Amino acid sequence: MRKVGVAGVGHTKFGRSDLPLVDLLSLAALEALDDAGIKTGKAHEVDQVFVATMGAGMLNRQSSVASALVDTLNLQPAMAETVENGPASGASAVKLGYMAIASGMCDVVLVVGGEIMRVVTGWEATDFVATMLHPEAEYNYGLTLPAFAGMFTRLYMDKYGVTEKDLAIIAVKNHENAVRNPVAHIQLVPNLHAITEDEDANVINPYVADPLRVYDVCPVSDGAAALVLCAMDQADRFSKKPVRIAGIGQATDTHVVAERKEPTDLLAVRLAARRAYEMAGLKPEDINVAELHDAFTILEVAISEESGLFPRGEGHLAARRGDTRVGGRIPINTSGGLKAKGHPLGATGVSQIVEIVRQVRGEATGRQVEGAKYGLAVNFGGFGNNVVATILAREE
Amino acid sequence: MGPMMYAYKCTACGKLYHPSRAVCRECGGREFEEIPLEGEGTLLTYTRVYALPEGYMKPWIAFGIVEFPNGLRVSGQMATDDLATGMKVRATVGLVKEGVGKDYYGFIFEKAS
Amino acid sequence: MIIDKLEQSLRPPESKMVPYPAKYITLASGEKMVVHQATREDVPCLLEAVRPLMTVEKDFYDIVAARLYAELLGYYRYRVKDEYCLVGTIDGVIVGMVNGRMVDEKVGMSYHTVAIKRGLRIGAQLFAAKMEYHLDYLNQEEVWIVAESPIGYRRWMIEYELESRPSAWHELGGVPTHVLTKALWEKHKAMKCTGRRPVPPEMLETAKKLILPSEYPQIPGFKR
Repeated sequence: MRKVGVAGVGHTKFGRSDLPLVDLLSLAALEALDDAGIKTGKAHEVDQVFVATMGAGMLNRQSSVASALVDTLNLQPAMAETVENGPASGASAVKLGYMAIASGMCDVVLVVGGEIMRVVTGWEATDFVATMLHPEAEYNYGLTLPAFAGMFTRLYMDKYGVTEKDLAIIAVKNHENAVRNPVAHIQLVPNLHAITEDEDANVINPYVADPLRVYDVCPVSDGAAALVLCAMDQADRFSKKPVRIAGIGQATDTHVVAERKEPTDLLAVRLAARRAYEMAGLKPEDINVAELHDAFTILEVAISEESGLFPRGEGHLAARRGDTRVGGRIPINTSGGLKAKGHPLGATGVSQIVEIVRQVRGEATGRQVEGAKYGLAVNFGGFGNNVVATILAREE
Repeated sequence: MGPMMYAYKCTACGKLYHPSRAVCRECGGREFEEIPLEGEGTLLTYTRVYALPEGYMKPWIAFGIVEFPNGLRVSGQMATDDLATGMKVRATVGLVKEGVGKDYYGFIFEKAS
Repeated sequence: MIIDKLEQSLRPPESKMVPYPAKYITLASGEKMVVHQATREDVPCLLEAVRPLMTVEKDFYDIVAARLYAELLGYYRYRVKDEYCLVGTIDGVIVGMVNGRMVDEKVGMSYHTVAIKRGLRIGAQLFAAKMEYHLDYLNQEEVWIVAESPIGYRRWMIEYELESRPSAWHELGGVPTHVLTKALWEKHKAMKCTGRRPVPPEMLETAKKLILPSEYPQIPGFKR
């Protein structure tokens, strides 16, 4: 198989956008193409476009988004497909781009992920996201992703001694990172005391799905992110040295959350990460920076453990010690994470890889992890029933 | 008789499931028979959800995951606010969602007396 | 100042209303928001704070701001009976306001809630303060409420489980009226209403200065 790298990255501001979906995707795509330094328009060099979006059909009533994007970018006759894999659509699209190049079928692939979610109310968005749950055994009950995250958190707290304050520490860390990331949605840092111990805390930071509170849950965001993937043997065509995709792992788990043997396990994360490490020939100890799917603060804890960055039951202790801050042993979610950068579903997996690329290139101004060489991104779909882990490496 | 909830038993190996599925996890069997799923169980975890999705006109609903003595674990709504992990609950079947032109029934667990 | 007779006859008689005792709330950002009752003399400043939002269509800011503007003007020029306005400030800067009026001893009429600064649940806090004023300080039996935006409906009607009373004619055009009864208030108050009293004198002095907001998240690039 040919080696594959990331030659260019693009990222719109996450938050609230008045643009149509395809226009927003175009912004990220053009930034990535320009960053890669390749031609656009008639003499373009893109062989294939993958667009990751979960909500285009249900929220924006638009289908075949990739076909629309390839036209407005004037990239015909490039191949184009739209990829839907829930909130893991982004990393799935990157995986497909990787396969297209590794197989020899393509040299250059544009991957764009994006979502316009704020066209609906927050509770309509919550309902839409819940459609990935089991229709009869979960969705019809009014169960949602926050509900499963709440139940998971209670088990995790009982089993490992995670506290509400531990989770708040993670939220504050990610918000602090987000204010150093100009594309992040939330540009406000909560005060740890105010959201946990202050006598007003119960009211100003109320439960969303107890024991999870408002500041444990990611916002609903619009936004897009893009990558130009290339064959490493074509690296000299691009203005920057491509960052190599060293490993990709993906795994699935039971659709129905209640059916899992050990309800505090996220087996798909464990397997996906293991496969990515094996493919990269790396160990968790080699990772210098990680973007983990913190749609809920508890997920940063659990994913950091299941991906081997910390022993089981110790993710919250690492966060408490400051190991996961920029400057700590293994900084997590330097972009602000889903929690503070925002979570436009289809964009998220791509956005995580954009951040890792910026980190290993040394371009993460204000939040740079010194000497970052290997980065891990974990993109989590369903309540952990479809997970993609991606490892990137700086080529010497 | 009101609506019932069922376990689905693999006719080949006897393994139970809820909800129904196409292929048995244990033996690959593809045929299942319906067995009423009812009675008491143990609450494994729960949450009160205050940010409900579109369509619910309540400030919050409690949900839980319950394990039946036969080992099956299911999600459901909780009819009581007096919740603790490990407590005994009794399965009832009730209206869990009012849909447009169709109502949905499912497990609503009560505190077992 | 002597008020001429015609003007005097246009003004509604005013009832005695217990003033709302100022409080402060620590917001998620750690900032302290002071909630205090505005005086009639404060109204011109409040009008300026509201004015920019009258053209913001998103989230029904336009209708809320335009009606609030008119209501405050009515209060200022003595054309509404027994109206009040509570204002939320952070370091003196206006971040939101709520208003309403006392219909009679028993019934409060909730008018509007506007949050200028967003993302800190300021609207929810100010709404709770308004209910607190009617039910805990004016000692009324109930407050009549309507919502003009879906977010308002969610926050008030559903979260407080308000009683639907379409037969009651709310002053904001009679749109379906919902009622917060004393019993519902007692049920939900602990989860909805917070804050400390008294406000330290220095903090209250700063709050009373009422500084106009220099930015509106609803209006990118806003310049006064």
